[in-house]
Amino acid sequence: MKKKIGVYVCHCGGNISDYVDIEKVKEAVKDEANVFLLKNTLFACSDSSQTEIADDIKTSDLDAIVVASCSAKLHVPTFRAVATRAGLNPYNYVQVNIREQSSWAHSDNAAGATEKAILLVKAGIARASQSQALLPMKLTATNAAVVIGGGIGGMRSAISLADMGTEVYLIEKEASLGGHIANWGELFPTNFTGKELIESLHAEIKKRSGIKVFTNAELIEKKGTIGNFDIRVKVNKEVLPLHVGAFIINTGFDSYLPSEGEYRFGELSNVITLPQFKNLIDTSEKELIYNGRKIKKVAYIYCVGSRQEEEGENKYCSRYCCSAVIHASIQAKKKFKDITNLHFNGGIRTYGKQELLYEQSSKAGDIYLQFSLDSVPVIKQKGNTTCVKVNDILSAGKMIEAEADLIVLVTGMVPRKNDQLINHLRIPVGRDKFFNEIHMKLRPVETVIDGVFIAGTCQSPKNTLETINSSMAAAAKASSILSKGEISLEPTLAMINPSACTICEKCFAACPFEAIEEIEYENRRVAKILVENCKGCGMCTPVCPKDAIDLKGFTTVQIESMIDALSES
Amino acid sequence: MSKNSEFDQVNDFDVLVIGGGIAGEESSLKLADMGFRVLLIEKEPSIGGKMILLSKVFPTLDCAACITTPKVSETARHPNITLLTLTEAESMFKETNGQFSVTLKKKPRYVTEKDCTGCQECESVCPAIVEDQFQFNLVARKAVYIPFNIANPRIALIDIENCMLCGLCEQKCPSNCIDFSQAEEIIKVKVKAVIVATGFNLFDPALIPRYGFGRFKNVITSMQMERELAPTRPFNSILRPSDGKTPDNIAYIFCTGSRDQTCGTSICSQVCCMYSTKQAQLLMGALPMADLTMYYINIRAFGKGYNEFYLQAKDMGANYVKGKIAKVTEKENGNLILRYEDIATGKVTEREHDLVVLSVGLLANPSITSIFKNEKLEIDASNFIGQPDLLKSPAHTSIAGVFAAGTATAPMDIPDSIMSAGAAAAEASGYLKLKS
Repeated sequence: MKKKIGVYVCHCGGNISDYVDIEKVKEAVKDEANVFLLKNTLFACSDSSQTEIADDIKTSDLDAIVVASCSAKLHVPTFRAVATRAGLNPYNYVQVNIREQSSWAHSDNAAGATEKAILLVKAGIARASQSQALLPMKLTATNAAVVIGGGIGGMRSAISLADMGTEVYLIEKEASLGGHIANWGELFPTNFTGKELIESLHAEIKKRSGIKVFTNAELIEKKGTIGNFDIRVKVNKEVLPLHVGAFIINTGFDSYLPSEGEYRFGELSNVITLPQFKNLIDTSEKELIYNGRKIKKVAYIYCVGSRQEEEGENKYCSRYCCSAVIHASIQAKKKFKDITNLHFNGGIRTYGKQELLYEQSSKAGDIYLQFSLDSVPVIKQKGNTTCVKVNDILSAGKMIEAEADLIVLVTGMVPRKNDQLINHLRIPVGRDKFFNEIHMKLRPVETVIDGVFIAGTCQSPKNTLETINSSMAAAAKASSILSKGEISLEPTLAMINPSACTICEKCFAACPFEAIEEIEYENRRVAKILVENCKGCGMCTPVCPKDAIDLKGFTTVQIESMIDALSES
Repeated sequence: MSKNSEFDQVNDFDVLVIGGGIAGEESSLKLADMGFRVLLIEKEPSIGGKMILLSKVFPTLDCAACITTPKVSETARHPNITLLTLTEAESMFKETNGQFSVTLKKKPRYVTEKDCTGCQECESVCPAIVEDQFQFNLVARKAVYIPFNIANPRIALIDIENCMLCGLCEQKCPSNCIDFSQAEEIIKVKVKAVIVATGFNLFDPALIPRYGFGRFKNVITSMQMERELAPTRPFNSILRPSDGKTPDNIAYIFCTGSRDQTCGTSICSQVCCMYSTKQAQLLMGALPMADLTMYYINIRAFGKGYNEFYLQAKDMGANYVKGKIAKVTEKENGNLILRYEDIATGKVTEREHDLVVLSVGLLANPSITSIFKNEKLEIDASNFIGQPDLLKSPAHTSIAGVFAAGTATAPMDIPDSIMSAGAAAAEASGYLKLKS
């Protein structure tokens, strides 16, 4: 039982104190058992408050602390570090969330928010009173990573990892490296082609003995945890066991394929997609000819497969297509004579320096017509001529009809079907079906699965530059963890009391991580936790009919004392 | 002469990171985690850059202060990172062995860093009142001051230009750390690699006189609105400057200083559409009765979750009007008349608002290029740090061993800055491994 608990109630600027009456919370909890010190703070996470908490722990010899501020997801590492610096075991610190769970959830009811905050803080104090010091487990980490996906992003991740001293296995499911970009022509804003870029990266890979490339390869099994994954990779017909410390997932995107009849795709032979058009430019000499017909007027219809309105469709913007199509249209005009470009767009999104492309294209006389996403252009065939009809926002909604020889559907990016990979790695997938990072702003290449990093367009649509940056950032993150040679694992794991276990196997069924095994104990079979697989999720504890399982850091005694505190009112 | 740093003669580091904003911090932390010794210099009195001053961030509406402070704190405390604030690089020579000899200039704080407890007693007695640059001049501060509440280091400094040398702070300070004898310090260091993370400058809207910024009190910048909305906000509510009234009919003018050759910026600033949309959502929460009108050219909601966030703002009631503002005029009551071509109708229209927010753009900050003495740090056509190997090694600059991160290379949002900073760290690490 802890006797000297320090309690800190945070204002979070006004995020909490605008709704929760901090003084009232303090007043209500000041007489709770074992509370030795009670303070409020404007930002508990700020450096000066951290110093104050650390000083309090030392000078008042606190044996536990409670920080009542925001979500545990945000600041548990921050305050654990504070405790550690002050010589207090970090597991004697308890986080209470009075922001997301009180002030933000009940901003319409300040009194209620305050009342709830009081109870949550009391429960936190009760949990801290029963807290125990825990020590993290240290495991050696293998300084090797597997990069899944051998497109431009995966190739770049591999090169960076190797340069930082991490061994790399680069796995590509196709027969050769390079992905989409290997087939692309000139890349904005450079003078070299996609093919040349891929070739030069390939040459860099060949120079590095630390990179082993496997094509026609796929991941078929994964076991273990960060620092020590045992995986099996099927290469052609052979199965290869590998030992790695981390994954970088760089599986890329698929181009949106219009459905039959969408903008008459599949019905009219002169309706093609952006990738088809880019290929046509690259493979045509002198004249732009499609299906035996000389092309002079090209109509581009933007946002095909992106920014869709209906439920279940792609609501996101595909980010790269506005710039990609404008670049392609400039190329077409440069390479072939007498080309007229008509851009039917949903609002041009050439962000950043890509704006220069839009400017260049406008100056060259390209025509831009803008539609609203709820009233998209219509394609009509009259005899031998194809027309695009649109209500043009830029001319006050006037109905404009234009003839075109070729209709290019500016198709966006869609997430790849990666069911097997998702199944092996349990990477979370967002509403848009792309892989989800752990924190969109500050941790864009990390996932909730320790040791599994995501990069490039499997996370969200990106252009080449952005893909390279994220691929190198993922490499830096992986290498910064693995190069230490050692990984600390959370000690908040389940444990089974073997004398109470009757091997009913209920916990085996409840565990989502295959972290329970059967062992011999005093001449009978009992269940035991496999610590390297256990994530401390707590699924096994309530199903045990003998109460033989307890979760360190969230023990039954702690949870019951919290329930008592919460039901006090 | 007394000194504030613990540097004596020549000091060696693996990497010098110039700029302590979010990109510089990310690069520093990654390299420090890999075991490299990093010297991080910041010209302001606190690290955290622009991000630490923001309200909430799009599209997650995370509180910027809440997610930045742990990163700032980790940077300041990392055993492999040495941090110098109020410090600028003055000159840099690349030696024949590939090392960089760097001369740093550390401005005097006039407060002994290790002794100040941040108690703010000095502030309470200081008689000199000046505009607070960290609140973007919305309110005043004292000549001796802590930059802002969540500053790191959270210690005082004296703005000597505005100080009256009355000595009151010196008498009041309980830890005797006011020290007027401090002078500028010159520090020499040798480093093996450099990361330039010098960020961006905000566009000064006074350069577009027709918007009336500086003349009309109720025309403010988006950064000022950012401060009004922040948890450490100056007024604790949303006010317009002329009379302190709560505005109920707010206009945003997008692309102020972006996509506008008349003020020398052709490119798009990449973040303004989204931060304006975010502010609109926050304002609709703070002032449920207020009307929001967003005057835009094109909406650039391109990132993950951005388009959905833009649609959400529209659903909440923000009125997006496609049209460029030709002129702003002021009425006697401080309200403003906006004249514009309404693209939807094709007609020139006027509309009255009681507060106008200018969505100011991001400009390059190329001043760093002048410190390189025997090699040239090239810039691109938009004055950002040049990236000669853009699609293969975007962090490379024209000088081997000098890498660039974040908005020093182009306008970008926070996740893109983090990724660019990660790429710079990867590049620097690979470079250092090769050298060793």
